[in-house]
Amino acid sequence: MNGATVLLILLPIVAGFALLHHRRLLAVLGMSVFSLLLAAVFLLAGAPDVAITEAAIGAALSTFVYILAIRRAGRLVVAACDVPGLVHEDRGVVTGVEVDLLKLLARSAGLDLVVQLMPPDEVMTAVRRGDADVGAGGLLAGEECPGMARGPVHLPTARFAVRRRHGGDRSTAVRPFRGEMADLIESARRGEAIAVELDLARLLVLTRACAAEFDIIREREDAGYAFVVAERRQDLLQRLTAELELARRSGELEQLVRRHLA
Amino acid sequence: MRVRHLALPTIACTLVTAFCAVVWHGFSLEGSRRVDVSPWVESAKTLGAGNVVSSIILGVRLMDTLVEVLVFAVAVLGVRYFLELPHGRARAEEIPESHLVAVSSAILLPLILVIGGYVTIYGHLSPGGGFSGGAIVATGLLLVAAGVGVERISARFRETALERAEWGTLVGLLGLLLLPIPFGRLPLTDLLPRGTPGALLSGGTVLPYNLLIGTKVVLGSWVIIHHFLRHRGEI
Repeated sequence: MNGATVLLILLPIVAGFALLHHRRLLAVLGMSVFSLLLAAVFLLAGAPDVAITEAAIGAALSTFVYILAIRRAGRLVVAACDVPGLVHEDRGVVTGVEVDLLKLLARSAGLDLVVQLMPPDEVMTAVRRGDADVGAGGLLAGEECPGMARGPVHLPTARFAVRRRHGGDRSTAVRPFRGEMADLIESARRGEAIAVELDLARLLVLTRACAAEFDIIREREDAGYAFVVAERRQDLLQRLTAELELARRSGELEQLVRRHLA
Repeated sequence: MRVRHLALPTIACTLVTAFCAVVWHGFSLEGSRRVDVSPWVESAKTLGAGNVVSSIILGVRLMDTLVEVLVFAVAVLGVRYFLELPHGRARAEEIPESHLVAVSSAILLPLILVIGGYVTIYGHLSPGGGFSGGAIVATGLLLVAAGVGVERISARFRETALERAEWGTLVGLLGLLLLPIPFGRLPLTDLLPRGTPGALLSGGTVLPYNLLIGTKVVLGSWVIIHHFLRHRGEI
C-alpha cells in the first residue's frame, strides 16, 4: 500500500469525522486536516501549485474564518448573578446547579458555555440587548420581564420573609430582594435592620454567611427558578425546555441538587 | 428525525469516497494511458518561466486568469456593499483573545509574510503564484486580527487608501494587459524580455502579473476579513 492509497483511504474517514462531529471546533479542525490530506494528494499527483493553494486557503484561511465565526456564534453566553449553589464563582471556576444544567444544554447544541457574572439588575438588560443568550442566577419564575420569555421552572423553591429579630419590627413589610447577596450579608453583619423576601438559595447563603439570628417565615410555596431568554429566541427556548425535561426525567437534576445544594 | 440528520453527511461522505476512488484509479493507471501534456509544456516553455503552470495561467491562458481576478473583485465589492454597517448600528464587540494567541500571532506573522512573499515573487520559478501567495499573507493578517483585534489593525490603515490601492492593482493588471497595443503588438502579448530561465528576473510579464494578483488578493481578502469580523453575523 503506497502513500497515495493511505491518504485516499483517510480522506473519507476525516470527512466523516468533520461532518458528524457534534463540537463545531473539532469539526472545523477535521475540515482543516481534510484540506491538508487533499493538498498531499495533489502533491503526489504532480500538482504542487494546486497543493499550495489548497493548503493556504483550505487548511489555513478558511479554518481561521470558521474559528472566528465560531467564537461569535458558537458560544452560549449566559449572563448570571452570583448565587452560591446555583451559579457561583470559586477560584476562577463557575459552578452550581444552573451552570451544570446550562452545560448540558450547551453540549447538546454543540456550543461552548461562557458564563458572565454581573449584578442582578444587569442580567435582564444583557439578555434583552442580545449580549447574552440566557439569563440565570436564581431568577424567579413569576417575576415580570417584558420582551423576554421564561423557560420552565427547573427547581421549585419557596419564598421566605426574612426579618432581623432584634433589629426590626415583625410587622414590617418585606420586599423581594433584587440586589447583590454580598451587600445584604454585609448589612446583616453590621447589624442593620433587614426586611426582605428571599428564595431558598439566597436564604441559605445569608444564614450560612451570617451568624445573626433572623426571623424567617415561609410565605409562598408556588415559586420556582427559571432561566430567561430573549423573546425572539424561540429555538433556544424550545431546546432549553427539552433539555430540562430530559435532565429531570433522567434523574440528573436530582443529582445536581444533591451535589450543589445539600 | 435522526435519519434526516444523517442523510446529508452520508451523501457528502459518499461523494468524497467516490472522488477518492477516481483519484486512486488515476494513480493506478499506466503511464501510457495518462493524458499527454507535453505540447502544453512546450508552448509554455517559450515564455521563459521555470514553472509551467504559471506560464500557462499567466501566458497562454491569461484571459481566464483575468476573468478570475474580476470575479474576485466583484465578490469583494459585494461584501463591501452588503455588509456596510447602517448608520448608527453598533459594531460587534471585540472578543478578548488569550495572551497565548496574541503573542504567537506576533511571532508567526513575519514568518507567514516572508513565506507569502516568497511564494508570490518566485511563483514563475517554483510552485505558487499570486493567488496562493496572497492567500498566505491574508491568513497572516487574519491571525493577527484574531490575536490583537481587527479594529486595532484597521485603525492603522485608511479605508479609502486601501480601496484605491485595491482598484489601482486591478487597473494596473488591465494596463499591463493592454500595454502592448501602443507598441503595435496584440493585447496579452508578452512585452518584457524572457531573461535567463531560472533567474529571478525571467519569464517576461509573469512576475509582474503575479505581484499584482498577489497584492489584489491580499487587499481584497483584508476587506472581506474586516467586514466579516466587525459584523455580528447578521446582514
